[in-house]
Amino acid sequence: MQERDNILRILRETKTAIEKEDVISLKELSNQTLHTASIYRDTDNIGIAVIVYALSKLIERKNYRMYKNWPKFFKRFNLCLDRAIIALEKNQDKYFVSQLKCVRKEIGSLTGNLKKHIQEVFRKAEINKASRVYEHGISMQQTAKLLGISIWDLAEYAGQTGISDVNLSITLPVKNRVKIAMEIFEK
Amino acid sequence: MKVIIFDSSTIINFTMNGLLDVFRELRRNFQGKFIIPRSVKYETIDRPLNIKQFELGALSIQRLLEEKVIELPEAVQVKDEEIIIRTRELLKRANKVFLARNEFMHIIDEGEASCLALSQILSERGIRNVIAVDERTTRMLGEVPENLRKLFEKKFHTEVKMFKQEMPGLENIKFIRSSELVYVAWKKGLVKMKSSKVLDALLYATKFKGSSISHEEIEEIKHL
Repeated sequence: MQERDNILRILRETKTAIEKEDVISLKELSNQTLHTASIYRDTDNIGIAVIVYALSKLIERKNYRMYKNWPKFFKRFNLCLDRAIIALEKNQDKYFVSQLKCVRKEIGSLTGNLKKHIQEVFRKAEINKASRVYEHGISMQQTAKLLGISIWDLAEYAGQTGISDVNLSITLPVKNRVKIAMEIFEK
Repeated sequence: MKVIIFDSSTIINFTMNGLLDVFRELRRNFQGKFIIPRSVKYETIDRPLNIKQFELGALSIQRLLEEKVIELPEAVQVKDEEIIIRTRELLKRANKVFLARNEFMHIIDEGEASCLALSQILSERGIRNVIAVDERTTRMLGEVPENLRKLFEKKFHTEVKMFKQEMPGLENIKFIRSSELVYVAWKKGLVKMKSSKVLDALLYATKFKGSSISHEEIEEIKHL
């Protein structure tokens, strides 16, 4: 695992943001592990980015709280985070990873619409974070692989962002590229 | 013989935009072959066939393969083993070009590398080819890797070193995107829709489904 202290700080700040229902801070925190995740291909850092971003969405949309199983789920979710923090403090890497997985297991144990909604929130969080990794310059397939999503998901999402409008992405005058395309089709 | 090698990103773009009829027309008007490496087949057909959201898209691309609109490398007498070996070499080298925080950055994966590998093999055999790739990293690595280094530094807020000696001989590879392909289709009258807005609509459609083309580039193409 890369940058343990940074992860620990992010998780502690996440706990504070949850208590304050500070959605903006949660979204910012979710991006802070992505540099490390992209350079080192560290799936733990990616897992945290996804969980924290999904949390921001779950807290932002208050309608989830109407579900009967929400309080129990949210309590267990928080418990997983508490245990993950303790595991990091005690340098127990395996236990830390198991607590990241614990969040997903809690979702799996849900039933009905709440399960479907939360699964969708997590899926969208994965795509959102993938788009940020792709924005950093990692290729589409490599990014999809890191996040465990399909290139199909990423292509659609990335197209809605400003990634392709970055000047550094323009590596050949467009008229030259059009010329290459026209010439290969010449008979 | 001429070949256009397709990366997953470009085929997915045509599929998601409902432009496979245009894709077929392009193939009919091409005196060569449209080729996908096996790893691209996996990403565009085999894997999404098991994802309900993309199953129909995967079936549509499978149909292209059955119709021989797109073909596998054996159609141009390139064996899978050759591509696998070259892809491994390329991956090994391409992923040792950029160093950040004392770590070599793994920037491309098998699908993208196999397109580069196939292009190199075909060029060595004197077969003219271009790669159609919508995602930007592969294209930047081949055309202006220095821009990729600058992008990494900007995004990661850290010094990124580039080892040019590891560059796997990509400088002669030519890249196009789905955006240029729809332009060719429009220019050759292969698009059935008739409206003054068709080209604009086609170009922006490709952008919004992942073609790494800027608004400025689109406006420039429209005025060519």
